[in-house]
Amino acid sequence: MFFSLDLLAQALVTGILIGGVFALLSVGLTLIWGVMRIINFAHGEFLMVGMYIVYFLVANQGWDPYVTLLVSVPALFVVGVAIFRLTIQPILAHSTMNQIMLTLGLSLILQNLALVFFKADPLIVQTAYSRVTFSLGPAVVRVPQLIAFGGSGLAAVLLYWFLQKTDAGRAIRAASQNREAAVLMGVDVQRTFLLAFGIGSACLGVAASLMVPFFYTSPTIGLWFGQVAFIVVVLGGMGNFIGALVGGQIIGLTEAFGAAILPGSLSRVFTFAIFILVLLFRPQGLFGGSRR
Amino acid sequence: MSLLQVSRLTRHFGGLTAVNDLSFSIDEGEIVGLIGPNGAGKTTIFNLISGFIVPSSGDVTFNGKPLKDLKPHQVCQLGLTRTFQVVQPFPDMTALENVMMGAFVRHANPVQARDKARQVLERVNMSHKADTLGRDLTLMELKRLEVGKALATEPHLLLLDEVASGLNTVEIEEMLALVRQLNQEGITLLVVEHVMKVIMSLSHRIVVLDFGEKIAEGTPEEVAHNPAVLEAYLGEEETHA
Amino acid sequence: MNKYTIVFLAILLVVLFLLPLVAGEYLLHMAVLVLLYAYLATAWNILGGYAGQHSLGHGVFLGIGAYVSTFLFIQWRITPWLGMWVGGAVSALVGWFIGYVCFRYGLKGPYFALVTIALAEAFVYLTSNLAFIGGAKGLEVTWLGHRPDMMEFDGKSGYYYIILIMAILGVIITRWMYQRRPGYQWIAVRENEDAAEALGVDTLRAKIEATALSALMTAIGGTFYAQYFTYIGPRSVFGEGPSIQILLFAIIGGLGTVWGPAVGALVLVPIAELARAKLGGSFGGAHLLLYGAVMVLVMLFMPKGIIGVAQNALSRLMRRQPDSAQSAKEAA
Repeated sequence: MFFSLDLLAQALVTGILIGGVFALLSVGLTLIWGVMRIINFAHGEFLMVGMYIVYFLVANQGWDPYVTLLVSVPALFVVGVAIFRLTIQPILAHSTMNQIMLTLGLSLILQNLALVFFKADPLIVQTAYSRVTFSLGPAVVRVPQLIAFGGSGLAAVLLYWFLQKTDAGRAIRAASQNREAAVLMGVDVQRTFLLAFGIGSACLGVAASLMVPFFYTSPTIGLWFGQVAFIVVVLGGMGNFIGALVGGQIIGLTEAFGAAILPGSLSRVFTFAIFILVLLFRPQGLFGGSRR
Repeated sequence: MSLLQVSRLTRHFGGLTAVNDLSFSIDEGEIVGLIGPNGAGKTTIFNLISGFIVPSSGDVTFNGKPLKDLKPHQVCQLGLTRTFQVVQPFPDMTALENVMMGAFVRHANPVQARDKARQVLERVNMSHKADTLGRDLTLMELKRLEVGKALATEPHLLLLDEVASGLNTVEIEEMLALVRQLNQEGITLLVVEHVMKVIMSLSHRIVVLDFGEKIAEGTPEEVAHNPAVLEAYLGEEETHA
Repeated sequence: MNKYTIVFLAILLVVLFLLPLVAGEYLLHMAVLVLLYAYLATAWNILGGYAGQHSLGHGVFLGIGAYVSTFLFIQWRITPWLGMWVGGAVSALVGWFIGYVCFRYGLKGPYFALVTIALAEAFVYLTSNLAFIGGAKGLEVTWLGHRPDMMEFDGKSGYYYIILIMAILGVIITRWMYQRRPGYQWIAVRENEDAAEALGVDTLRAKIEATALSALMTAIGGTFYAQYFTYIGPRSVFGEGPSIQILLFAIIGGLGTVWGPAVGALVLVPIAELARAKLGGSFGGAHLLLYGAVMVLVMLFMPKGIIGVAQNALSRLMRRQPDSAQSAKEAA
């Protein structure tokens, strides 16, 4: 273990860029969790589905990865809405634990279906952008990661605008803060839930298109990214948009610095430690109110 | 020495003071009524006394023992049991099992606890529903069950939170009779009630609250004629009883 | 327990004890798996079904039991018969500690579940990186030949009888607790924690004790796991596989009932093993896919589990008689 400035500078750069992507992954989850109080354990698997779609388009059909956004976003929206209507909506009134079990089951199904169809081999695609880098002081910036960061930021801004300025968005925020009041104000809560779930899933479509150029695709990546999303959401505060953004950056940095400082998979220890500490001492997250 | 001594009890919730410098005492064998308009802080006081909330300042002493740092289950074990305004049954347990939970405080042996529970069910007129699940009982039955659960803990002091709310006239009479009987058997009671008739006929003494403060204390007669009380309930009118 | 149940159980016991005399190796292997998971699910149920705190990372305790006894075995030839109690004690302590830290701070439901998942994952990473307990490669239980005193047997019968007795004891312990104050208190905590507190139940202690007991029992199962499969690795014991399977059987069978977990294991393990046998070669995740599908379907259509469905059917049958009403306790 030695701390070279170069190493740390690289970790800083990578951490920030990755953090942006983590934020995007988590924004969808926090939206769903905040609005419907559903803890969607299949969130990571939705991402995985999106990444396979994108991979297929890029590797087999030769598309530019960022053009796939036109497909991945609506596709994930539809997938999210369909799964929600078929499996989650019927049990919204049931206990949270039942919902957790259901989404856990969904994640198992998706993971293993992917294993059947695609086998366990990680798939990497080379695109025009894959090897492009430039230097920022002692650190190397990989362009795909930079684009991912920028894209995530853009998506976050769009989502923020949607939630703040449109009626549908406001309905979502209202339902998330006070369901009964929202109903009384005439908000179509069922439709709002559907929309929130769809949008949350669509964010993963965006993330998928942004990530395929620099990350491998495999049936099990949903596991890790799903966990990251949860950690970020808990850190930032359930249902809190800004919290997801900030939390994403924080976890991106802990991951990057952990990888730089600690060997092997031990690097994850920091991230998990933060998770457990937050759950114990500030379960409402950094930005959550003290309603817990 | 009083059985229960509340001294300068205060509780803030952020900027709101729910209970302010409240002092009163309850003697052995009394039935003391606690009344006040909505939001006066009555349930908060119950929560403070029984250990569900910690006071911001002030003391509560029961049988000479301070209750401030105790958890609710410890308060119950000392002999002070409370009921809940919104009934809190165990939905998937039978009425008998519900009451057994109370009996378990004094009887670790399940056979003894069950016997005790049967006796209590008899007292609150629920024997015929012993094997009915909590989720299948009517409101009146749940109210009686609530009293039964508390009774099974063999309390010295029983805190009843709005036992009469939601009941019709006949049911109220039954509840009143039960409470009086319990008192005759030696249980001291602190009763919160909205229904004026109930509290006036039941209590030996009444403490009146408004905005978390005590505004009057005395016999039902005295309290009924107290101008401050009338004003709190009726507004700025001058009323003659 | 009425006459019919006693007779039924007696017959069942006889069948189970005589099974190795008639069954082939494969059937015995299946039986061991069913009993192992029935046992583990029953142990989980103490915390999850009774006290109502759903741990999604119970593999932690399985792994601790497995690693402790195996380490003692490999390093110092300490018999697993002893090692399992050491592992159990360590696990109970860890469980006690986790319970204290979590419940002291009021963590409930999903948040507690998340902590257990994070903990299990943390243990995977931890053990993968500690060389002295095998790192990512895990540990292999050295084969010393047919040594019952070291919990190693030729063939499957020896293992079968051990796990059969463990499973029976597990059910007996559960039922015993269920009928006494601790069991009632756990159920009360699950159904209405505030009401339980108000009636003198030390809810914090109840939850912690349930955690510790569940941890102890699970860890002992972990020792058996290690001895039977002769290999343990970070993912295989601490990973989500065992954790999910354990809770799945308890939930499918029926939470908070004495027989639910065993029934769940009995129904699902054979199906899953058959799936793995038929498709496993080309597709290692067949049984997980099945579990996922079952979980979704059960949550949608029979959230109270198999026992719940059976209870409903039974009570509808009994409603034709004057005194009806089966309680959550009586029918199980």
